[in-house]
Amino acid sequence: MTPAFLSIRDLRQTYGSFVAVDDVSLEIPEGEFLTFLGPSGSGKSTTLYALAGFNEPTSGDILLKGASILATPSHKRNIGMVFQRYTLFPHLNVRENVAFPLRVRGQAEREIAARVDQMLALVQLDAFADRMPGNLSGGQQQRVALARALAYDPPVLLMDEPLSALDKKLREEIQIEIRRIHRETGVTILYVTHDQEEALRLSDRIAVFNRGRIEQVGSGRDLYHNPATRFVAGFIGDSNFLDTAEVAVSGDRGRVVFPDGTAMGDLPVHRSAPGGGATAAQVMVRPQSLRLAAAGLPVRVLDVTFLGDTSTVQFRTGWGQEIWMRAGAEEIAGLSPDATAHLGWTAGESHLFV
Amino acid sequence: MAANASVPRRQRRGFGPAVPALVLLALFFVIPVVSLLLRSILEPEFGLQNYAELFATSTYARVLYNTFLVAFVVTAVSLLLGYPVAWLLAIMPQRYANLVLAIILVSMWTNLLARTYAWMVLLQRTGLINTTLMKLGLISEPLALVKNLTGVTIGMTYIMLPFIILPLYASIRAIDPTTLQAAALCGAGRWQAFRRVLLPLSAPGAAAGGLMVFVMSLGYFVTPALLGSASQMMLAEMIAQLVQSLLNWGLGSAAAFILLTVTLALYAVQIRFFGGMR
Repeated sequence: MTPAFLSIRDLRQTYGSFVAVDDVSLEIPEGEFLTFLGPSGSGKSTTLYALAGFNEPTSGDILLKGASILATPSHKRNIGMVFQRYTLFPHLNVRENVAFPLRVRGQAEREIAARVDQMLALVQLDAFADRMPGNLSGGQQQRVALARALAYDPPVLLMDEPLSALDKKLREEIQIEIRRIHRETGVTILYVTHDQEEALRLSDRIAVFNRGRIEQVGSGRDLYHNPATRFVAGFIGDSNFLDTAEVAVSGDRGRVVFPDGTAMGDLPVHRSAPGGGATAAQVMVRPQSLRLAAAGLPVRVLDVTFLGDTSTVQFRTGWGQEIWMRAGAEEIAGLSPDATAHLGWTAGESHLFV
Repeated sequence: MAANASVPRRQRRGFGPAVPALVLLALFFVIPVVSLLLRSILEPEFGLQNYAELFATSTYARVLYNTFLVAFVVTAVSLLLGYPVAWLLAIMPQRYANLVLAIILVSMWTNLLARTYAWMVLLQRTGLINTTLMKLGLISEPLALVKNLTGVTIGMTYIMLPFIILPLYASIRAIDPTTLQAAALCGAGRWQAFRRVLLPLSAPGAAAGGLMVFVMSLGYFVTPALLGSASQMMLAEMIAQLVQSLLNWGLGSAAAFILLTVTLALYAVQIRFFGGMR
């Protein structure tokens, strides 16, 4: 098998007895936008830093175009990076910041000028070339950082939560811009975020990190519709997890009896990876998959919240678990607190984790 | 308007606690400095003849030259030696950095005379350095390391080094390490990162330390007196001699005033380019 454009193989990083990255492997084709998604401390940034050369992995390898890059120091890796913090050189103006990697490489003045113009046009900051970083907004600073990281045409661009310091509206604006720049340049991007919406908006594929491991790699649709683990199901999109009293599995389908005696069959089965946390079997169902039904899971209404386009309803099951449903205003018109109802859903839209 | 008027009033009230110190400064600094200036242009008669004599007489001009030369070399060497130390302090784990800082501070707090005499022991003809070099066969005659400007420069560099290291360390620590990581990924090796990022960003610290060392060196008395010689005098020694032995207050005041003027001019330059001491 020919190696992928970029391969991360059995990467492991330990600090004393703490395992920050636990045997992470990924094959990344050229031009892909891959996001590392996970909570803080899940190993996603540590993996990215190993690519940048800021920490030396305990074991494992990283190959770019088939050759290991681990022995190459950061400044010779030719990799681009945009950081979470603002890292523009405060003593240089925008133009000189973007020119920095080219000057370090000893390029001719004319080439530098042309390339800097091109990069500033790419991030639409032509008009700000003579500004100092201190006189730019956070969003503008990160766009300049992006131009600087792309100026030397790196094969791989690393982005470590570059938008986390910006407000929501600006973040969405720059996300659109990052997508456009990815399309226009075709550069391979590895993007770290803890924001699932950002990951879904930007990525070709998402690698979900948890406790130093990759739980699942796939497109946003894959992860949402076919979560491989409880963690992924809980992390991508909204979810309810229902306890079970009895479980019978045959092949990839399962039948459960809930603690109140309600039975349900034909549920798709997922076996949790070892060390995946809770061990009791649970059924995961999305709030928008729930429907009011004539017969089904008996519940009591706790609260109804009107949210404009949709409403949410909080229920309590017979055995005391709280679950919630998202639905249109008409569907829940008759519900009020303390009323009783029955909930149903299409078996194929829920998942049984054993 | 009312809001604006209240600001100066509040500031004026804030002066209260500072009054004793201000009175002290006026009585024992401003008045003596002014009287110094007056003596330099009034004794023995009104005019700039004292200043003319200082620059025209080759002995005095020589002393001025020696003083500026030593101050310049001490500052330059201290900067060269201090940068790597400050950089190491900034990147080493905090508890080791604290240890090294403690060593630097203890050396600063050790009695000045003790340290200067120690250098005399090390540098003299039969001192540790000369005997070692001769034993190794590197030299056949002892080097003249003391009782001249070489000795003064060595001794003063040692004494001034902490005054460079401390402000430099502070300004290097204020640089976000991520900025240097960004420089590395941009392709800058150690030297490029130092020259293009670290050096310009730590320049205010270097300027503050450098200015302090240069100014202190210009007026330094003890080390030149002990490690130098009468034939290669520095300005502070000359002022002492003019006032104490020759009782020439006019000339001594003029020399002191030149020192003060140069110091203020350098400080003005530093404020202009680096925004003063930070």
